[in-house]
Amino acid sequence: MNSSAPASSREQHLHPIGMLLEALQTLRRWFGVAAFPGIAALINGEFGVRILLFVLLGVALLGILSAVWGVLSWRATSYLVSGGALHLKRGVFQKSERSLPLEHVQSVSSVQGIVQRLFDVVEVRVETAGGGGEPEISLSALSRSDAEALREELTSTRRASLEDFEEPAPAVLRRLSVRDLLLAGLTSGQIGIAASVVLGASQTVDQLLPRNLAKQISEALLPQTVWAALLLVLAIVVFAWVLAILGTVLAHANFTLSRSVDGKYLHIKRGLLKRYEATVPLARIQAIKIVEGVLRQPFGLATLRVESAGFGAEEGVSTTLFPLLPRKKVEKLLRATAPRFAGPLDDLKPLPARARRRYAFRAVLPVLPISAFCAVFYFLPGLVSLLVMLPAALYGLLRYRAAGRRLDGDRLVLRFRRLARTTVILPGERLQSRGYSVSPLQRRNELATLEVEVASGRGGVAFRLVDLEAEMAGNLVEALAERGSRAASQERYSV
Amino acid sequence: MRTEPEKRLDPRAKLLWRLTGALQAVPILAGGAFASYVFAGQVPIYLALLPLLAAAALNVLFVLVLPPLLWRRWRYEIRSLEVDLQRGLLRVTRTLVPMARVQHVDTRHGPLQRRLGLSTVVFYTAAGPNEIPQLAQKTAAEVRDRIAELTQSRDEL
Repeated sequence: MNSSAPASSREQHLHPIGMLLEALQTLRRWFGVAAFPGIAALINGEFGVRILLFVLLGVALLGILSAVWGVLSWRATSYLVSGGALHLKRGVFQKSERSLPLEHVQSVSSVQGIVQRLFDVVEVRVETAGGGGEPEISLSALSRSDAEALREELTSTRRASLEDFEEPAPAVLRRLSVRDLLLAGLTSGQIGIAASVVLGASQTVDQLLPRNLAKQISEALLPQTVWAALLLVLAIVVFAWVLAILGTVLAHANFTLSRSVDGKYLHIKRGLLKRYEATVPLARIQAIKIVEGVLRQPFGLATLRVESAGFGAEEGVSTTLFPLLPRKKVEKLLRATAPRFAGPLDDLKPLPARARRRYAFRAVLPVLPISAFCAVFYFLPGLVSLLVMLPAALYGLLRYRAAGRRLDGDRLVLRFRRLARTTVILPGERLQSRGYSVSPLQRRNELATLEVEVASGRGGVAFRLVDLEAEMAGNLVEALAERGSRAASQERYSV
Repeated sequence: MRTEPEKRLDPRAKLLWRLTGALQAVPILAGGAFASYVFAGQVPIYLALLPLLAAAALNVLFVLVLPPLLWRRWRYEIRSLEVDLQRGLLRVTRTLVPMARVQHVDTRHGPLQRRLGLSTVVFYTAAGPNEIPQLAQKTAAEVRDRIAELTQSRDEL
């Protein structure tokens, strides 16, 4: 439409598809409200011609009103970049005008939903810095050229020196192959979530179906023998697994990680139906996590995640930097992606031997009272329940074995395990605070818990290494102080 | 670094914590008394009195025992490169916040604090707020200004 005009000269409307999107959204919102009485009426069996007519009339009315609303709100929405700020007007009845100073812009990302893809428009999301409590701005439909122009303008203050420079295409660092995509789905470990969804869905179906039918079905399906029951469980697991794979495929298909030529931005593109595109300024990355899931670690596979400040609307946001790659290749990819974080990830200094007992004990502790209770009241099964303590202790020992740290210059690497084994890379100058704590029991063993904090999203995250030598904890904190402050005076970021 | 931070909170902090402890005491005692009242007719009197006694013991802990322990542990020090904090009753936590990371700093006080002439210094990093509570108002203002000054000078580097 007005894609040829530069965005800065005058107020711009969204692409006309914005009307459709807004109308659809309104429709969806009201449909949810209207659906309840509608379904209730259907189930009650009051299904005459008159009711049907009413419903149709209602739907038509809703459609028309939504369409009108879409047009009105499209007319009321306009944006303009001028005077170093993005101005956004919106609101049909309640007019609002927002000005967002360009220096508060953290990142500009674009998303394509299915409708947007159909018409080849993009949704542009402008993420802002934390602190002010400003929510992100989202422009639901822009033509590709408008979106590009807006992105240019929003980020031009940062790249003022490159203004006349035609930006070359970013260099692709790594693509997710189809094989790896499927592998990522297989090992995603989201089966649990998917399984609960399947079970939940089956219950809902149970309630919706007429009682007789449900009974018949369940009689036909419900297991009569142990083997049939096992088969059913197996079927649910497989189904859930397939769902988990589908979820991963939808989210991570065509995952591409690239870096802008000036080396200041990372671009992430992903998604099958809904395409997602994000720009992460390298200077905003606070920490990088290498997560080795339970199903992935045996195959030497890992996921890369970043903790990034002021990126994303919530606190403690972490974004996937790359969904699946061999652990051995992590270092190389980091060297190309974020050199500040690259370095050796193995040969971590383990925890002292006297911490082992404490790890095992801590894991057993929550199980202990339950087992004890069982043993007191039901002697035999209670004794069996004591066996649960074995895997618990084993889990504790695995946690102990995974834990470790290393310090190269002022690059701190911490590793610990909850279920997945996680290795965190923390540059000294990104630590918002660092310290250690000592509990009475730790004091007796001369142990301590190291605790460092980095910014993430609108708040922070803390990483802890439990039970390292108290003296070492002190030394680490001290070493990071000297180097951290030196680095801080040489190279400062605005976080 | 090995030695503890040198500054302590204002001694009136103990009084303040005792007062807030005493305020908590009212509902705890009421709960204990009610439980004792309910049990009174059903079990021997020494058993029925247990909840009340437990509530009383808890209050003694909150009002008499804990405040001085907390106060003795709480220490802070404002150095040119960082703020050094130490606190905690059983689990003792030591935290260092680099000046270069401090974004802004406030003082604030609640009604009870104002009565006692106490104030809390709150300084923010990108990861969230950190507090030095219960300083004399004059000291708190000094600490606040000192932190502000130090973060400023870091900015000019």
